[in-house]
Amino acid sequence: MSRAGRGRRAAARTRNLYFQGKKRLTATLWPGTVNCLRARQCNDFTPPPLLTLLMQPGPIRLAVIDSDSGFVRVLVKRMEGMSWHFQTFSAPVPTEQLVAMRLNALVVDPALLGPGAEEFIEGIAGEVPGLGVIVCSTRSTVAQRVRALRLGADDWVSKPCHPEEVVARIESVVRRRRRAVSRPDSGRMLAGELEVHPDQYQAVVAGRSLNLTRRQFELIQLLVEAHGQVLQREEIYQRVWGYAMAHGDRSVDVFVRKLRQALEAHSPRWEYIHTHFGIGYRLEPRLKAEHVQSPEPAPGRPPEAREQQVPVAVPPPLDLMTST
Amino acid sequence: MSLFRRARPDDRLLELLENAGANVHRASTMLREMLADFPERSDLAREILLCEQEGDRIAHDIIHRLNQRGVHVAFDSRDLYALVSALDDIVDYAEQTADSLGLYAIEAPMEQAEALAGVLEAAAAAVHAALVALRQRQALNGDLIQIHQLENDGDRLSRDAIASLFVSGVDPMMVIRWKDIFESLEQGIDSCETVAHVLEGIALKEGSG
Repeated sequence: MSRAGRGRRAAARTRNLYFQGKKRLTATLWPGTVNCLRARQCNDFTPPPLLTLLMQPGPIRLAVIDSDSGFVRVLVKRMEGMSWHFQTFSAPVPTEQLVAMRLNALVVDPALLGPGAEEFIEGIAGEVPGLGVIVCSTRSTVAQRVRALRLGADDWVSKPCHPEEVVARIESVVRRRRRAVSRPDSGRMLAGELEVHPDQYQAVVAGRSLNLTRRQFELIQLLVEAHGQVLQREEIYQRVWGYAMAHGDRSVDVFVRKLRQALEAHSPRWEYIHTHFGIGYRLEPRLKAEHVQSPEPAPGRPPEAREQQVPVAVPPPLDLMTST
Repeated sequence: MSLFRRARPDDRLLELLENAGANVHRASTMLREMLADFPERSDLAREILLCEQEGDRIAHDIIHRLNQRGVHVAFDSRDLYALVSALDDIVDYAEQTADSLGLYAIEAPMEQAEALAGVLEAAAAAVHAALVALRQRQALNGDLIQIHQLENDGDRLSRDAIASLFVSGVDPMMVIRWKDIFESLEQGIDSCETVAHVLEGIALKEGSG
């Protein structure tokens, strides 16, 4: 069998695995998905930061959640003509699944989602900060439209509408998103798997927002900006809360605990915040010991020596990059 | 100091007093746990509120029992009323503290509040032990002395805690919030001492009679 034939078979196998038990999905799959799924089967696969991926120029990655088959059909024709990577759904889709797809934009009909539509829009807009959400609905009130836009939707199109208008609105939303993220003064900072976007008040790990409160975000931003230096509790309190810290106040400890919980949930392989007892805290991303690969033993060495060899965990330097 | 040289009082009454002591102890233990793991254990405020309601029910039952004909009280009714009121106050102050944490949108505890809650719990445990001893006709001296000592500790801690708020540059909102909370914790500890005073009075009267 030719190399191309083997590749096609492998892709089909992966596709079958992906769609097993998910008959409600229409089988329009973008080429990147297969590669992504294959890569996920490898143990050492680390997904690239989502925002970085999404903001790269290239074909738009889109999902359409709508049960109106006629509308979807004409929209699909247009999108095929523009070589977009898209997927359509005729039933509600879990947020996690959409996050994993690394979309630029999402077109959704709230009628399909039922009473949980607003919660869904708020959830997906919060989870993926770079995602453009376009709501496309038949009947709606002003209050519904205003609420959806305030909850995180970027645009609202009322049906019946021309597919060309929908396509133009998707392009417009994605264009604005890309421009916003690629602004020269965005000041994005990286630490391990963590991305901090001060302009958006977002801390993101592997494309998923940590959903921090304003104060939690200010604290993590301060720690990241300290470039691995130890910050005293009093100094942290002064700079985040804006007042002198009263003796015995445990606010800093409680907020650091909450940050650690959020980081642990989103980036379990890394250790970020280190405690300096009686002094304060330091943020320095470090792979946890169980995830650090021990070096191969040198050939010819006696087994005792090999047993005594302690795997050296070399902490990567704080990867602090500020886009200019 | 041994009690009940005269006739033995109504056992149901003593049992209700013991229940009130256990309730006081339970509420103060939950308050300490809530402050130690705040804000994660904020849900304990609801449990403390239930304790407060249980305390009200027990106080009502005791007063109702005092008013019943044919019940041999043996103690001075005014002493018993003062005892019941003080026991009720302890749980009320514990509940007020727990409620204030939510009401004032407290983000994190203060070490001094945890220390005061620890003193309140220890004093409440001594109150409970004294009421068990009262029912079992045993001496109360040890528990009452412990309550007085704990109250002194509470006073000192409370004064230091309030002083720590009035350092230059501290958020005025924080001063307002925590001053109230420190004061309600101290009032809870003071109510434990009131219980000790009333029990001393009862023991004195029984001894001299």
